[in-house]
Amino acid sequence: MSNINGKVYAMNAITPMRRWKTWILRLAFFVLWHVKSLQKDLIDLSFIEFARWVVVRRGSFPNLEGGQLKEDLEYDYLLFFSNFNGTWNQYIDAFSAVLSGGLNLIWRWSEKFPGSVPVTLFKEYIARVQFDTDYYYTSYPQATANDVKSAHIVQSSFDNLALKAEQQSPQQFADAYLHFVIQVQAHLGETGEAPVAG
Amino acid sequence: MPNQNGSVYGLTILSPIIDDEKATPSHDLQIRSYLARLSTREDSPFAQAPGTHLARLVVMDDVIYVGAPAHEEHLKSKYLIFESNLDCGPDGDLDGYLDRLAAAIPEHLDAIWQHCVGYPGAANRQAFIRYMKACQLDTTFFFAAVNDKTVPETLRALQTQSAVADFIATHQGTDPAELQRDFVQFAARLRSQPPPRPGSIGPSRDIKTGGRNE
Repeated sequence: MSNINGKVYAMNAITPMRRWKTWILRLAFFVLWHVKSLQKDLIDLSFIEFARWVVVRRGSFPNLEGGQLKEDLEYDYLLFFSNFNGTWNQYIDAFSAVLSGGLNLIWRWSEKFPGSVPVTLFKEYIARVQFDTDYYYTSYPQATANDVKSAHIVQSSFDNLALKAEQQSPQQFADAYLHFVIQVQAHLGETGEAPVAG
Repeated sequence: MPNQNGSVYGLTILSPIIDDEKATPSHDLQIRSYLARLSTREDSPFAQAPGTHLARLVVMDDVIYVGAPAHEEHLKSKYLIFESNLDCGPDGDLDGYLDRLAAAIPEHLDAIWQHCVGYPGAANRQAFIRYMKACQLDTTFFFAAVNDKTVPETLRALQTQSAVADFIATHQGTDPAELQRDFVQFAARLRSQPPPRPGSIGPSRDIKTGGRNE
C-alpha cells in the first residue's frame, strides 16, 4: 500500500447519501461545472493535479454476468479521488480554510458530515471515510502541479525565443533574451525529491 | 456529464472481484499481492501504456459506516477501482486508450483483472474494451489543473525548465554574440533530445511511506 508517489498523494473517500439528496448534489456539480468562476478557489489552491467526484446511485454499482450478487443498498454513495501535493494535514487544513463553503456544498448531503469548520471534526470525518491506495503511478513523480504549470510557461516562452533567435542581430537577441529571462524567472524552480514529512 | 476536462479524461472503473470462499488466498488478496510487487517508476506498466498522467488501483473492501443514526449496510462484492487521468485528445477517445493499454501491457492487465468477475482477457481487444466500459462509472465532476497538455508535452516541458535554469545560470554577463550562438546550439540540442521516460524524472526514492496522518 502506498498513498504517496514522489510529490503526489492519492486520496480515496466514500460517503453515503440519502437518495433524494443526490439530485441536489448533482445540480450543485452541474452549476460548478458550467460557471467556471466558481472553480476559482479550487484552481487557486494550486496543489491539486487532478480531482474527481463520482456519484454512484445505489443500483448503479457495476453488475456483470457470472454469479455476482446484485448490490442491495439503501444509500447512494459519493466517491472522491484526489491527487494532491503536500501532506494529508496540509491538504485538509487548506481545504478547510480556503474552500469551506464549497466543501460544505458538496459534502453536506452525506450522512453525518460535520461541516468543514472546525477542522478537527472535519479531519476526523475524512479519516473515517478514507480508504487506502494499493498502487499509485504518476508520469512525473518529482513535479508538483505548480512545477507542471511553470514548466509549460517556460516551454512556451522558450519556443517563442528559439523561433526568432537565428534571424535576429546579436543585440536584438540579447534584448529578447532579457525579456525571456524576466518572463520565466519566477518559473524555474527545480524539481526533485519531496521533503520528508515530519 | 464530465468524464472529460479539456483533452484529459477522468476514467473511473469499478470491477467486481470474484468472491470464491474456496480460493486461497482470496482473489482480493491476490490482487493486492500482485500490486505490491509492481514498480511505480519508469518500468511501471502504466509508463509503458501511452498517455497516462496519473493512475491508481485500489481494492475497495466495502462501503464505510459513518456511525449512528446512519443505516449500516455492506457491499455484496469487493471492487477493484481503476482511476486514471489520461490523454484522450479533443474527441475524448477512450476506446483508443483502452486499446493501447491492452496492446502495451496485456500480461499485467490479465494478472490483475483475472480476479474480477467476467473479465475476458486483454487478447480479445473488443471484448476487453466492452468489459472495461461495462465497469465504468461516469464522473460527476472532474478537475484538472492542466487540461490541455499531453504526457510527452509535460515531460518535455519539465526537461526544458530544468535545462533553461542551468543555461541562464551559466550565461550571466555573456556578450550578445556569444549568448546568441550558445542559445541557438542549446535550443537545437534540447530539441533533438527525446523527452524523459514517463515515471523517470528525478532520483529514485528507496523509501515510500503512506498513511493518513502524515
